[in-house]
Amino acid sequence: MVEPLVSVNKVVKRYWRGKQPVEVLHNLDLTIPAGEFVALMGPSGSGKTTLLNLIGGLDKPTQGEVVVGGERIDRLSGGQLAKWRARHVGFVFQFYNLMPTLSAEANVELPLLLTNLSGKQRKANVAAALELVGLTDRRKHKPNELSGGQQQRVAIARAIVADPTLLVCDEPTGDLDRESAEEVLTLLQLLNREQGKTIIMVTHDPKAAEFASRIVQLDKGALAPEAQAA
Amino acid sequence: MKYLPLVWAGIWRKRGRAILTLLSIVNAFLIFGLLQGLATGIDNVAKESTAAVMMTTSRVSLIEPLPMGHAAQIRTVPGVVAVTPMVIFTGTYRSPTQYVPAIAIDVDQYLAVYPKVKVSQTARQAMRETRNGALVGEGLAKSYGWKLGDTVPIKSVLWANRDGSTTWPVKIVGLLPKGSGGPAMMVNYAYVDEGRTQAKGTASFFFLKTVDPKKGPQIGAAVDRLFANSPNETRTITARQMAQSQFKQIGDIALVINAIVGAIFFALLFSVGAVMAQSMRERIPELAVLKTLGFTDGGVLALLLSETLVFCLFCAAIGLGLAEIAFPLVKQSIGFEAAAGPILFVGLAFAVALALISGLPPAIRAMRLQIVDALAGR
Repeated sequence: MVEPLVSVNKVVKRYWRGKQPVEVLHNLDLTIPAGEFVALMGPSGSGKTTLLNLIGGLDKPTQGEVVVGGERIDRLSGGQLAKWRARHVGFVFQFYNLMPTLSAEANVELPLLLTNLSGKQRKANVAAALELVGLTDRRKHKPNELSGGQQQRVAIARAIVADPTLLVCDEPTGDLDRESAEEVLTLLQLLNREQGKTIIMVTHDPKAAEFASRIVQLDKGALAPEAQAA
Repeated sequence: MKYLPLVWAGIWRKRGRAILTLLSIVNAFLIFGLLQGLATGIDNVAKESTAAVMMTTSRVSLIEPLPMGHAAQIRTVPGVVAVTPMVIFTGTYRSPTQYVPAIAIDVDQYLAVYPKVKVSQTARQAMRETRNGALVGEGLAKSYGWKLGDTVPIKSVLWANRDGSTTWPVKIVGLLPKGSGGPAMMVNYAYVDEGRTQAKGTASFFFLKTVDPKKGPQIGAAVDRLFANSPNETRTITARQMAQSQFKQIGDIALVINAIVGAIFFALLFSVGAVMAQSMRERIPELAVLKTLGFTDGGVLALLLSETLVFCLFCAAIGLGLAEIAFPLVKQSIGFEAAAGPILFVGLAFAVALALISGLPPAIRAMRLQIVDALAGR
């Protein structure tokens, strides 16, 4: 049996809207084995992004536990969580969220600044990540000189450059045309199959979800019956 | 060092705004540098006025002339080594704005009191032999295009010539190199005294060299006793005291300068603070991404503070550098050299303070950003 990389147990997440508590996740349980490509789907407000944020260590649950790679991340302090994210998680956002003033290679290098790698090693790792996403020739370009698909590939290079075990992607194709979206999804699939990266992707798009090995449906803060991708 | 490109890119994120902010900070530090340089220059003038040299003026007023006969009597006072008369011969060159700070002296008596002033034997001899001879500082000569051997008309603001005009042709017989320690222009006392239509046989003041600076008060009192109850009573003080009292007549320069600099920095604090706060607000999603990637709260704080620190130091260095370049030019207007010296360090310390005070509030806000809220645009 494959060891679970992510284990979410009896998680409750509650926000406060003024004095009114709003429960977004209700006693949610989810297990994701290492090496899986999971698509999180569901209607708006179902808690997909909230769940993704909890698994990625961007937020903490109100109740319950979140275990990633054997570590109770819900118990980590803010500083510990930041260091944990730097070591273990790569993030891909819908709107790429690249630094507009930095070149593609400088954007990709950002996570490596937090490591003890030498400048030469960082350059080598950046070059390898850009090559993997097919953007070696665009390494000196700034984000506004790249197409949406290319920017998202730079964001993926940034997410994988520190060799994290887990990639969390929030609507990575939500802002792309069909062709660029397919390129990005193929790339994610490749990272999952060839490099064994565990990927959790939030998406609204059933076509995007088809690239995943498992689809998890959320509805009103709870899991709906799972469906296997075709 | 590995974060420097990130810091630098953050500074120039909005190039237009960064340049405008840079100009305002550079301008503030340029003014700071010039004003503080002026204050230090004034201080240096007072310090450089050797304590061994004393100055005898009229007790009534600085502009009241003293009879030349006083010189011989002052020489009799024990402790006085040498005496030189001096007449203020301030004038202008071709236009009223071409200021010429000049004095009329006897070159041998002057150099006996000020032996450290470097005048070549040739120039000294030429001054003795040329009635309307003048020794001119190289800086002044260069600014007006004068050369050795030129005869130039100096329009005196004080003395009418016996031909009825205020124009005094002087022949440049020697150039005083930079650092010679001499005044901008020296002309012969005899030429001025013979030519002027009033106050003949008088000096504006006398400078005397004493054997021991520590005996200055006693020697000064002895000189003044000589002329007590005479029509030309004197006041004898050290040249340093004179320099200090002259500057005090203008007012408390240090206080005025500090008030101006304080007002400039106070205003700058708000404008830079507002720019930094605005920049931080615009970058909330980017800062949230940095935190997402693993930058700690302290790391983000340090990053933003580094940006303001590097930017303020960069601007201060340009402003103070421009002030340093401007100091020699200012000398021509004020007659003495403004000095950089410790101002550079004080200026850089101000830049650090400016960066910390204006950069800290937005940096703290950035540090406290909640990633999830920031990414969601809340």
